[in-house]
Amino acid sequence: MAINVEELIFPTLECLHILGFVIAIGTSAVVDFRLLDIGFQSQTPAQLAKDTRFWMLGGLLLSIFAGLGIYSTDPDNYYENWSFLIKMVLLIAAIVFHYTVKKKAASGDTPSGSAKVIAVVSMLLWTSVIFGGIFIPFIAPGLE
Amino acid sequence: MIPILIAVQNLSWFTDLRSSAYMYPSLLALHLVGISLFGGLILITDLRILGAAMKSFSIAEVIDRTRSFKQIGFVFAAGCGVLLFCSKAEAYYYNPLFRAKVVLFALVAIHAALFKSSIYNRPESIEGNPALMSKARTAAWVSLILWTCILIAGRGIGYISAPFGLHFAGLLHGVTNAL
Repeated sequence: MAINVEELIFPTLECLHILGFVIAIGTSAVVDFRLLDIGFQSQTPAQLAKDTRFWMLGGLLLSIFAGLGIYSTDPDNYYENWSFLIKMVLLIAAIVFHYTVKKKAASGDTPSGSAKVIAVVSMLLWTSVIFGGIFIPFIAPGLE
Repeated sequence: MIPILIAVQNLSWFTDLRSSAYMYPSLLALHLVGISLFGGLILITDLRILGAAMKSFSIAEVIDRTRSFKQIGFVFAAGCGVLLFCSKAEAYYYNPLFRAKVVLFALVAIHAALFKSSIYNRPESIEGNPALMSKARTAAWVSLILWTCILIAGRGIGYISAPFGLHFAGLLHGVTNAL
């Protein structure tokens, strides 16, 4: 069976996309657990945020660039897919929330007063981004 | 084996699951949520052992503190995975990448058998012990490679349509309709 290299590009981009968001969302969850006071209490939220910053940003960038590659294969159809559009809104919300509200909540030696609510919102936002992505091909067969 | 798989996927619970426009993708999304938690923590642990992340924590702290979250993440992702399997059991059974994923999980079990007692259950003795440190590094690299392969195999399953998948279910459905 001959392997068609071009046929492998799309699944490879998808694997990189998944790998990227697993890295980003996993490291984001570590800081969320610290804000919820249910893990990693031996360090301050600020130190934990600093320790995971590189992998959070790296995972996010990998996922975004792989995602742009996926998008470029069929931009018109993605643009008309409501799950894709909702996902983009949620993604921007999650990123902005992470680098403003959550960054501030995790900047001190102890979690700030509203830290638990912020951690839950952060987890819900990233979960909803995953849902938005998974539903894209299910509402428009043909897009994987 | 096949009659059992067909019996499972024909349970009304699973016929509902695979024909629902929302249930199946929702379960798939939850599978990915579990993977994000579990995979992210596996990655952090392996990278800490290799000295590339979480440097303000000791190796022992990272292994101990991520353990319960990893267990929750794994059970959650695996639970969703089993339900997804049951909804299309016959098709998954014939899917070569699903089979590869099963083999990779067997390798994960071997990895655990090899490293659990000496590394993961006694993490405080790793740092400062060169022999254990080198064993831990091997464990971390093998873990990174295995889980990356599982991710690739898992994503690949959807690209292969099994030649025999669901044909019995379809046949039964046809017979039922005809009657």
